[in-house]
Amino acid sequence: MPANDHPDTASPHATGPATTDSAEADSAAATATPDRRGRAWLVLLLAGAFEVGYALAVGGSEGFTVASWSAVAVVFFLLTLFALSVALRTIDVGVGYAVWAGTGAVGAAALGPVFFDETLTLAKACWLAVIITGLVWLKLADRPSEPDTASRP
Amino acid sequence: MHWLFLAVAVVFEVAVALSASRAQGFTRPGWTVATLLSGGIATYFLSLALLTFDVGVGYAVWTSAAGVGIVVLGSVLFGQSWNVRKLLGIAVVIVGVAGLQLSGAA
Repeated sequence: MPANDHPDTASPHATGPATTDSAEADSAAATATPDRRGRAWLVLLLAGAFEVGYALAVGGSEGFTVASWSAVAVVFFLLTLFALSVALRTIDVGVGYAVWAGTGAVGAAALGPVFFDETLTLAKACWLAVIITGLVWLKLADRPSEPDTASRP
Repeated sequence: MHWLFLAVAVVFEVAVALSASRAQGFTRPGWTVATLLSGGIATYFLSLALLTFDVGVGYAVWTSAAGVGIVVLGSVLFGQSWNVRKLLGIAVVIVGVAGLQLSGAA
């Protein structure tokens, strides 16, 4: 594994076995402006919201036996993966997946009691707080070399 | 057998994230098809595994294993950088998701 365990090394992208494919994606990510990165995060949160819609629709479909909710579930399945794919053009896949799964879990746990016979226990609420803390932390940590490029004349 | 189903579900969940990343916003047809197929296969095998596993435990193992696999493979295959801050954030989110699913089961 090309372990890059030194935080903020000068050229983190130089360590990977870059194919043409990933070199292209890397340069796109490396040159991402704060604007572009901000938009990517919005799309990623949208993907999480679609994931919640998918989870609720699957719940409503009762094992894909109710046709209307099954159709809604398929639409949300396509939407969430599309939005995830758009966001991952800019955001690293490890961070993107965690945020996607995290927002989906928070939304499903928060809305479950609204739509279904679920309860939001104190334990669940505490875990939601842990997830949200991690999500905010990741948002703040996800600015690779941007301060450098921004301050460069 | 249920551990095998869960392992297959993890492998394809990792494949979902990696191919979604390669699909570049669904502009590449091959990777787009790979994303959707992997998503379907992962969901199917997860549902098979959850017939035997406790739902909360099964989900918790599935999400955390996939999260770790995606960080490792994103680094190995795509050369994406990672540092202590990012890893810590990912770990907190994954632990939170796993804890949520386990507490839902309890």
